[in-house]
Amino acid sequence: MGNLKIKNLHMHFSGVRALDDVSFGVNEGEIFSLIGPNGSGKSTLFNCINGFCKPQQGSMIYNNINLKSIKPHEIVKKGISRTFQNLQNVPYMTLLENVLLGAHRRLTVQDTINRWLSQKEREREESLALEIMDFLGIANFEKKYLSGQPYGIQKLAEIARALICKPKLILMDEPAAGMNDQETLEIAKIITEIRDILGITVLVVEHDMKLVMSISDQICVLDSGKILALGKPDEVKNHPDVIKVFLGDEAHA
Amino acid sequence: MIKGRFDDENLKWIPVLIIVVFLFPFLLKSATFSYKYYLYILNIAGIYIILTVGLDILSGFTGLMSLGHAAFLAIGAYTSAILVDQVGLPFELSLIITPIIVGLFGFVIGFPALRIEGMYLGLTTMGFGFIVKRLIIAFREWTGGSGGLHVSKATFFGITINNDWDNYFMIYTFAILAIIIARRIVKSKLGRAFMAIRDSEQAAQASGINLAKYKMMSFFISGMFAGFAGVLFAHTSHFISTDHFDILLSILFIVMVLVGGVGSIYGAVLGTLFIVLMENMFIPLFEDGMSQFVHLEAGDFQVFIFGLIMLIFIIFQPLGLYGMWLKTRIYWKIFPFNPRKRFT
Repeated sequence: MGNLKIKNLHMHFSGVRALDDVSFGVNEGEIFSLIGPNGSGKSTLFNCINGFCKPQQGSMIYNNINLKSIKPHEIVKKGISRTFQNLQNVPYMTLLENVLLGAHRRLTVQDTINRWLSQKEREREESLALEIMDFLGIANFEKKYLSGQPYGIQKLAEIARALICKPKLILMDEPAAGMNDQETLEIAKIITEIRDILGITVLVVEHDMKLVMSISDQICVLDSGKILALGKPDEVKNHPDVIKVFLGDEAHA
Repeated sequence: MIKGRFDDENLKWIPVLIIVVFLFPFLLKSATFSYKYYLYILNIAGIYIILTVGLDILSGFTGLMSLGHAAFLAIGAYTSAILVDQVGLPFELSLIITPIIVGLFGFVIGFPALRIEGMYLGLTTMGFGFIVKRLIIAFREWTGGSGGLHVSKATFFGITINNDWDNYFMIYTFAILAIIIARRIVKSKLGRAFMAIRDSEQAAQASGINLAKYKMMSFFISGMFAGFAGVLFAHTSHFISTDHFDILLSILFIVMVLVGGVGSIYGAVLGTLFIVLMENMFIPLFEDGMSQFVHLEAGDFQVFIFGLIMLIFIIFQPLGLYGMWLKTRIYWKIFPFNPRKRFT
């Protein structure tokens, strides 16, 4: 079984069943994709893992820690960080500051005071942020304010902020949404690099099928809160239910 | 050696500015006979600067509206008056203790901020302002009720602060300190957390920021600045009463921050200077002229003008005075090659 184990997760908002008996496992060092039509509960699942929503039933175990009882701001301590579907950056901070925001937990009061007193301390704090920004190819934007920057840069800034937490598992909510083909290819490259070079397990929600099929190790298809199919990309691609949901009844014939 | 990446602003002119601030009274003395009046106005501005810088951290950076900052100022002033005159603590100790007490009041007011936001928080803090005013009147044995309270002069390590001339140097020393501290706070991990809470609570939480803790901390810090201003207010004006800490003053503080530019410490300073100078020096001039044509109660005209100023700034210059300064700076940086119609 996997590193992140989700078992019989139920989540409903009064009448709406957002998640209905969802269970799967994510292995370490894997790119796991969640796909499904709009409103199928992908983001809700992310919010549950992240602690923004409290599922009514079921369990989420990550490295033998029950995520259900952990507050949202403590999740990052357990090695899980996430990016958001719609940009959640701080527009009136520079890109570097936005990235450093992710390092919040690691900076102690002592660090802050040292930073006030000496220039060197500040550079040490910033070096990791710059390294990550370099890794994502946005290091030359470090001094720019995020408001007014291109969408692609802002998306990458989110990923950088998630990476600087030094996570073991990163949740990416539609990293390639609103990107053109070129940028999508770059995102695909970045996701595989995050897994291969940094050794971080990736759980990704994505609508771009080409991207999902090319990078995923496992795919889970959700539809109105239920799991339709779970498995390797090839299995999922040819699964009759999946084709029915994504292309309609006629296409099946 | 790489220069600090954070501070892209040029820090060289800051010592110059500090020297100018301290040389200004001498300049004023040589220029006019009524320099004491101008110093008095500048002293008020200095005290308000300390407070608005704190308010900017709360409202501008953390995005929590407060219409109760006059109440924090009042608590600071009365606490210091009671501690120094009735308990008998030295003034220097009161400078440390009072801000902490007021900060704790801010901490308590921070509790509702965890649940409510925006206008509702503004109303809650406004209610807090009224409660404080009533409480000051109720505790008449210590505070002198609505009759007001006389406060002793400050003695700072043996030096008695006698008149506006001395006050100026004391107040502006602390004001500059407050600005430096506020800027340090804003440019550190704390400031980043505050701004993240303002712009995206989800991202803040996902980055490991405890919303409750940092909102309370913002209120605490803001309260401390206000308390500090309160101590200086009490010991430099020598007389305090509940009339000084009106709800209108709270609104005026918000106007100062807005006019200066929300979310920048220098903006709060500029806005405070602008509004205080307007209030005391320019508006009286107009008021005399206007009163020939319209019958005006005292203060009506002020409120009208400030409302107008705020509207104009919100519509035409949302970034405030500081934003204007930034724009002109950019304009001169690229001067001969300005694209047309960019800065109108």
